[in-house]
Amino acid sequence: MSKKVLTVDDDSDISIFVKTVLEENGYTPLVARNGETGLAIARDESPDLIILDVLMPKQSGIRMYRELKTDESLKNIPVIILSGIAKRTFLRSQEALTEFGDESIPEPDVYIEKPVDPMELAGTVKSLIG
Amino acid sequence: MKAKKLLFVTQFEELWFDALQSLMDLRKAGFNHTVFLHVIDRDKVAMHRGKGYLKDEEVKLREMANVRFIDWAESLFEQGMEVGAYIVVGNPLPKIISTAAEENVDLIVTGRHKQGKLEELYGGSETLEILERTSTPVLVYKYMLPSGKVNERPFERPLLTLDWSPASGKAVEYLLSFKDVLKKVIAIHVINEKEFKSTSAMEIQSLRKENKQKLEEVCSLFEKEGIEAESHLYVGSTFEQIEKAASEREATMIVAGTTGKSPLKEMFLGSVGTKLTKHSMLPSLLVPASVKL
Repeated sequence: MSKKVLTVDDDSDISIFVKTVLEENGYTPLVARNGETGLAIARDESPDLIILDVLMPKQSGIRMYRELKTDESLKNIPVIILSGIAKRTFLRSQEALTEFGDESIPEPDVYIEKPVDPMELAGTVKSLIG
Repeated sequence: MKAKKLLFVTQFEELWFDALQSLMDLRKAGFNHTVFLHVIDRDKVAMHRGKGYLKDEEVKLREMANVRFIDWAESLFEQGMEVGAYIVVGNPLPKIISTAAEENVDLIVTGRHKQGKLEELYGGSETLEILERTSTPVLVYKYMLPSGKVNERPFERPLLTLDWSPASGKAVEYLLSFKDVLKKVIAIHVINEKEFKSTSAMEIQSLRKENKQKLEEVCSLFEKEGIEAESHLYVGSTFEQIEKAASEREATMIVAGTTGKSPLKEMFLGSVGTKLTKHSMLPSLLVPASVKL
């Protein structure tokens, strides 16, 4: 059975692009448009990998990532952050949340700033989940 | 403290990043989530004779907004704020209303848009329509003070205008929820000449005493929360006196309840809400009677 990859992005062009790359490389894509539905799908489907945008409606990737990494049943799922937001900002925002009293969490497995090359994306997915 | 959400509506004409940054003090009042909304006016990309739908133009406008929002979001994320963004094509009013509902926001921040002659005539009605259709308070934000300086802490010295309607009662309650960013509340009531039904000095003095007592009761609510408060009575035309009071008392914003009349009625009655939206030099926080607290 093919491995499931959840992609969470509000930009439909990016979602279609990622979905196509995943399908062409033999993975089963799951799609969510924001962190809130992304988290619900992650809980229901237990994907093998999550590709996560940062700036989204309802719940950002920063909060969703934090929820993933503090949830016992989800924290071991590898995460690729794919975003226009700089990696430095992502890390600083997590530091800021930790300072406000939240739990300290690990860095994402891979951070890619948009746009991404399809070969690079496929290679990164393969390196993480085979 | 309940986490609160702010919807920041910008057309990149009237509200920029410094306006947003000046609202970050609201984190002390529980606002830890900002949602950006930019509506690309349908007329800019809609069908044009011989050209059809201007898809390339839409992509260009979307990406311009996206670049700006990413930059703004980076600053807010680094301050520990949660951020979301919508860039949509359509008519601003329904998009503001639908986004406010979808995100369940606690406050809508909008600017005063540049207006043509027709819009000037109907100006302010857009804000009143939002208030009527969402039950969400609206901050019509003017972040530049008449002095030309940025209004860095708009919630520090609000002028609370009270007409004793249910809406002004809700305005008091709503303002109390900002207790952690308020320094001093200036509560005023304007006695309109029409209220002087009699020329008897005794009756006029009773009217003064009754209103002053009500103002003092409101002030005590703020004082109980450790916020300085003072009360003043003004006499004359409501909007003019509010502006005068705001200037004399060095207020940083004006807070008013709105009646809940239809925007059309409000417009023709020349309501205070409409006038504040159209003409006031200060930010105006308008609270509908239907707000859920």
